[in-house]
Amino acid sequence: MSVIGQSVTRPDALDKVTGGKGYPVNFDLPGMLHAKMLRSPYPHAKIRSIDTSAVEKLPGVKAVLTHADVPDRKFTPVYFVPTDTKSMPQDMLIMSDHVRFAGQPVAAVAATTADIADQAAELIEVEYEELPAVFDPEEAMQPGAPKLHDYSENNIAVAPVMEFGDIEQGFAEADQIFEGTYTTQRVHTCYLEPRVCVAEYDGTGGYTINSSQQHLFGLREKLADVLEIPHSKVTVIKPPYIGGGFGGKLDIGFIEPIAALLSKKTGKPVRMEQSRYEDMITTTRNPIKVYLKTGVKKDGTMTARYGHSILDTGAHATHGAEVINVHGFALLASYGCMNAKWEGKTVHTNNMIGGGYRGYGAPQAMFAVESQNDEICEALGLDSIEFRRKNTRRSGQPHPLVPMLKIDSYAMDEVLDQGAEAIGWANRKEANSDAGTVKRGRGMALFPFWVSGCVGFPDIYEHSGAIVKLNGDGTADVATAAMDIGSGQTTALLQIAAEELGVPMEAMRMVQNSDTTTVPFDAPTHASRVTYSAGLAIQAASNSAKQRVKEVAGIMLEANPEDLDVADGIVSVKGSPDKSVSVADVASRADSPFIQVGPEGPAPTTLEEKGTIIGMSSQAPPSNPSPIAAGFVDVAVDTDTGEVTVERVVYSHDLGKVINPNAAEGQVEGGFQQGMGMALMEHIQFDPDSGTCLTGDFLDYKIPTAVEMPADIESVFIESNEPTGPFGAKSMSEACCVVPAPAIANAIYNATGARIKDLPITPEKVLAALGKL
Amino acid sequence: MKKLIQLNVNGDSHEIAVSPETSLLNALRGELDLIGPKKGCDSGGCGCCSVHVDGEVVYSCMMYAAAAQGKRITTVEGIGKPDDLHPVQQAFIDAGAVQCGYCTSGMMMAAKQLLDTTPNPDEATIRHAIAGNLCRCTGYSKIVDAIKLAASRL
Repeated sequence: MSVIGQSVTRPDALDKVTGGKGYPVNFDLPGMLHAKMLRSPYPHAKIRSIDTSAVEKLPGVKAVLTHADVPDRKFTPVYFVPTDTKSMPQDMLIMSDHVRFAGQPVAAVAATTADIADQAAELIEVEYEELPAVFDPEEAMQPGAPKLHDYSENNIAVAPVMEFGDIEQGFAEADQIFEGTYTTQRVHTCYLEPRVCVAEYDGTGGYTINSSQQHLFGLREKLADVLEIPHSKVTVIKPPYIGGGFGGKLDIGFIEPIAALLSKKTGKPVRMEQSRYEDMITTTRNPIKVYLKTGVKKDGTMTARYGHSILDTGAHATHGAEVINVHGFALLASYGCMNAKWEGKTVHTNNMIGGGYRGYGAPQAMFAVESQNDEICEALGLDSIEFRRKNTRRSGQPHPLVPMLKIDSYAMDEVLDQGAEAIGWANRKEANSDAGTVKRGRGMALFPFWVSGCVGFPDIYEHSGAIVKLNGDGTADVATAAMDIGSGQTTALLQIAAEELGVPMEAMRMVQNSDTTTVPFDAPTHASRVTYSAGLAIQAASNSAKQRVKEVAGIMLEANPEDLDVADGIVSVKGSPDKSVSVADVASRADSPFIQVGPEGPAPTTLEEKGTIIGMSSQAPPSNPSPIAAGFVDVAVDTDTGEVTVERVVYSHDLGKVINPNAAEGQVEGGFQQGMGMALMEHIQFDPDSGTCLTGDFLDYKIPTAVEMPADIESVFIESNEPTGPFGAKSMSEACCVVPAPAIANAIYNATGARIKDLPITPEKVLAALGKL
Repeated sequence: MKKLIQLNVNGDSHEIAVSPETSLLNALRGELDLIGPKKGCDSGGCGCCSVHVDGEVVYSCMMYAAAAQGKRITTVEGIGKPDDLHPVQQAFIDAGAVQCGYCTSGMMMAAKQLLDTTPNPDEATIRHAIAGNLCRCTGYSKIVDAIKLAASRL
């Protein structure tokens, strides 16, 4: 293969190093107004009255919007499900007279400048009736707790249960039973480009919108539904790229419908950009408290597993109603234990709402699973790697999500063995065996089963499409709705297209100006799905174009199309490489006038050659192959200060086939930063009395800088060649964010003998665990 | 009340009207259409807005535009063009240091200032020089690689 497996340069890199024009934050329209929101200072309140009369008269103010002006249409903002899905509660309004979290939008102002809008919003007079609030999900489930929604009894939005095998029999067969409670905190994706949008009303019931989002068609559907108009009345512009997502832009925000309604009210385009504080209280990873109990035989065979998870979903169910299911899957089914039961609860509180974030419930699950797995190994004297090898699935077994499918590529032994070899697992010391103040330790965590998309999950969109169009100079333009959120989706998709078409990477170009009227539907950029699922669609469209190249070339070369090869931009007859024609000549011939006039006069071509060479696809993927990820870390723990330093990382991952090695490493290194941040420092915190966010900017919400991050991060990629994937590829980009926290916790145990089950593992918690606080 | 000020940006002199509280970032982006500096937090916490003022790295969101009068301001647009890249820009492309790219402008300004003053920085020096610039995509490894690569080419 000439393009797959190469670290080709990202096509968007040149633009990004010279200023970066393509971000939605730069989008600008003539006459554009700027809007800002007034947000509630109270976590739970009824609005008695809103007086906007003074504000409306201010110079520069063009419109004010309150809950009285928005459709009374409840919805789930989650992009990847149909708006009226039966699988998730619809419990949000664009604005409501019932405030359920501190920071909920109460009113919005559009003005000629952002400063005027900001100042005006603060002058709106609102009379609130404060209501009792509850911030702890376990308190929220108690009788008599403040009730947030009519539909959720004891504030429980959803309560899924998963069960298979015979759990009582399983625990009865165990030699030893382990149990523990593991908690994870609220963390933010910290995409650096804020949520921003520009909405424009067209005067005839339709809207055009540009937004920093992870799902072009999700925004179209949600915005149309909440405004109660047909989907085709909303056109969503596809930005060439956005400034990060990580799951944090996987739902319609308040800004898009509010900007649209303000545009309708004023007849002008309206821009809304969130401040960092507003972003910090818009979506986060849901905190989950997990109780986990495991039965094990002396030889390490798992006989039963039971789990119970309480998820704080905040004021509205949104993603929390689905994160809980995916979390349960990771908790219970990522390993192969066949006697298992899990009960989940997604609970309303007066905290901010949760959201999607890389791993979608799995980081919370695997922190519990991989911590407890190490506790089991420690107690029974088992090797961490052999215990995991014994209890994981194997290729050929039924797929746990889609039982009619079998697990195909699944290189568990290679992931474990090559990772262990690279870190030097055999040299791992006994726990707490260092003498000095600074103690070093080595730990690992496995994420044995994950997804390459959403085949198998009920009610979740999972199909992709593409249009590939050849130009007469041998280049090709690709159009797809798949969003590049920073991780290099465009690069990987173009590499797949180039390889399939048989042209060099330089010949490929992603269409820069497209929207929901010109590209086929694509599911979101989420769930580790784009390379596999959108990649297959791109490959199919490219293959279709290539077949047409061969047909036309066959006429030109007087050869059977089936006897032709296309590679490096040349179509040649198999076995006769000198009998060839360039893809450029083929594409140009197909696009030429019917009668070509050359130096020797008019020469008619044939009808069979005519017509721009295009290929199209829209399709669902045939499977949901699982990657495998193992993270290994070395840490140093200063037992005087409690400070933990990660010194070295090895990450081993079965991704089927590496499309772009440099980009794949970039995913691992960035994923580790997010996982390490969750493990050691990141924590969105609220004032316990007022419910106000205390960590609203990067001065209070600390993420790892280049100084905290380890310099030594080694990626080991295992190419198991997934038979259903594009050139053998499956997924990678979430798992690398899942394993760091448990691997670090296990390494801290190995260093100090202290087991910390509550994230983040701050210096205070380390010192407390060492008995020094 | 707005006042006219003179800003010297990327070698050009501009006369713009700003309020006393207008940040240099908002003046660059809003008045001069220099979209290289990015607003990531508007509170001096992320470094996406980093520019050079008289050769020093400054968070342009934390400086008043009026305070930048009479000073030499350089944004990413001033260090190289698509057909004539600065070695730092070329190295960020070649090392794969660009993902979402939102931090890239500011990160490169921090990197350039380091290399302007320290020809062959070691790993720790590089990491400290960019510690005021957050990136959420790369884990910084390839950014550090890019700065080393640029240093080797300068």
